[in-house]
Amino acid sequence: MASSSAQSKPDSKATDNKAEQTQATQQKPAAADMDHDEFEDFKVEDWPEEETEAAQNGGETRHLWEESWDDDDTTEDFSAQLREELKKVNESKRR
Amino acid sequence: MALVTQFLSGIRGHVLNQEDEQLAQWLRVEPPVPDHYHRLAAELRSAFPAKSDALSKLIDNCLPEEDEVQEGKGSPWPGFNSFMKEYMEYWRDVDFDDAVKLHSLLSNLLNSCANALANPTYGSMLLKTSMSISKSLCKLVMILMKQPHLLAQIHQGASGEEGERKSIAETAADILQKIFTSCLMDRTSKRFDPPKGKKVGVYTFANLILRLFISSHKSRLAVQMLTNIDNIGPPLSLYPASQRVTYLYHLGRLWYNCNHFMRAQTCFSEAYLQCPPAFLSHRRIILSYLIPTNLLLGRFPSAQLLSRPEAAGIGEIFLPICRAIKTGDFVSYYDAMERARPWLEAKGVYWALFENCKTLVWRSLTRKTFMLTYTPGQGSTKKAPVLDLEDVVTVATYVQRRLEGWTPAPRHPGHRTNGQTNSMFMRAVANSADASLRATTLMPPPGGKARELPMDGGLIFGNEPVTLENVRGIVVGLVAMGLLNGFVSYSQNKFAIEGTKRAGGNPVAAGWPEVWKVGLERLSEGPDGEGVDIRRVPAWVKGTNGR
Repeated sequence: MASSSAQSKPDSKATDNKAEQTQATQQKPAAADMDHDEFEDFKVEDWPEEETEAAQNGGETRHLWEESWDDDDTTEDFSAQLREELKKVNESKRR
Repeated sequence: MALVTQFLSGIRGHVLNQEDEQLAQWLRVEPPVPDHYHRLAAELRSAFPAKSDALSKLIDNCLPEEDEVQEGKGSPWPGFNSFMKEYMEYWRDVDFDDAVKLHSLLSNLLNSCANALANPTYGSMLLKTSMSISKSLCKLVMILMKQPHLLAQIHQGASGEEGERKSIAETAADILQKIFTSCLMDRTSKRFDPPKGKKVGVYTFANLILRLFISSHKSRLAVQMLTNIDNIGPPLSLYPASQRVTYLYHLGRLWYNCNHFMRAQTCFSEAYLQCPPAFLSHRRIILSYLIPTNLLLGRFPSAQLLSRPEAAGIGEIFLPICRAIKTGDFVSYYDAMERARPWLEAKGVYWALFENCKTLVWRSLTRKTFMLTYTPGQGSTKKAPVLDLEDVVTVATYVQRRLEGWTPAPRHPGHRTNGQTNSMFMRAVANSADASLRATTLMPPPGGKARELPMDGGLIFGNEPVTLENVRGIVVGLVAMGLLNGFVSYSQNKFAIEGTKRAGGNPVAAGWPEVWKVGLERLSEGPDGEGVDIRRVPAWVKGTNGR
């Protein structure tokens, strides 16, 4: 019975799909705007590890991240504002 | 009548031969389906009305339990016939334009399928069928959860039950957990051997259940299932890559929602690495969790990562946040978080990120204050590296005022007239307020009224002024977390840095160790200080070879 699926009529398919399609259309704009697509099922069940990053460089990921990001620059605007504020407040305390 | 009998006869053939794939192909529930399913439905409606036992009788006649079953062959069993009755009733009563009724029918059908699957001898031939019905129900539940008016109708129908009413996601997850348990407990294969029988379905069902719990914000309900997986589940590495990646992604989401960020990081990272670059949208979704999780642990995305195709546009969300954390500027931080908020909220990561990264901004702000105030001196005038907490109060008050709408006074003479007006106003304010108001480079907000901040918006909370006690509490907290290295002198209100010599004479490096490294060290010590393997994530079962 299932093997005869090719005999199905396009018209009936369209009717069957109606509810689903309406629901899908209603949700599309929100998903597109907000970039929060569902994590869909993969179309492929399995793949070899060689196709993945996990197989390269032993899965080393350090290049993907910055661990030392501290900002030693005290000449930028925010530092300059704080420096002036500290100076003024500390001067007023000495008076 | 002919079509129903013909259908049941075909089903019997597949049951006798234990053809699970064919059974799943035949027992379809979701359009599009070939036309004869609709003709079957029409025949069921005309010949087998509800409240008649004719259908049960026909099914029992067409699917008799076999007396003698040869090796490798199967037989219908009572649970299977109950499921077939439910299946026929599904097609008789279904209306794909009525999602509420469809939900009820599909739930009943899956429940019946779960009962049939539990049969230890023949149940496994329904594994694929139960997978396809489960996927259809989950898909429907996910759609319904976004349709409040339909949800209300379902809840109305379910009223009258005692106790707390369950959401449709929980109800669906309950049925799925029955199937999951059947799979997990299957004894066809040993725990660490390649899965056979129903055990093949363990992670497929775990994934569906986790998706439901995460989508309905009920992550904690998954704890029991995850405990069971951790205790007796098969190694994840024995399952196909698509299931592994999906499971690690869901497990990461779970741990993130439970504030276990290192565990979440380990899961997301592995999911990302095991997902080939060709699956761009999957990689992008994983990345959109991997990055905030790393941020919380003190690692920022590199330019190399952000230049990848799956990261397109993601840098615009996170780079301003990273910059604000680096500089310790709460004004930029709140601004960057507010801009990113819709995107982060849609991902469900906003609140944890917003609250926890404040700690990192405080770390940078105290670091910056030290760099701006500490002068080492030389020889006999060499000073011990200390941070005066009064100075932290000064800078924090400055930032708090900026948040409340105070503005930096113009620095050049051209603005003198305007400045005079404001300085006159400031004097008036100062005369009637705290003496500290007399000394600041800032001008009060227009009209003199501070902007009202939300409770989570100020440096302490809302418009609460920054005090020495607040600052001391925050610095002590940072020391306790290991983010500041040293001790706080309560009598002198100073933070004294330790380990400067070890850090090559650099007090900044000694006092403010790198966040990521601190996290790794702290977590490796474990709660009892006896050392733990931080790469071990509960519910991520590894094989005897460690994979």
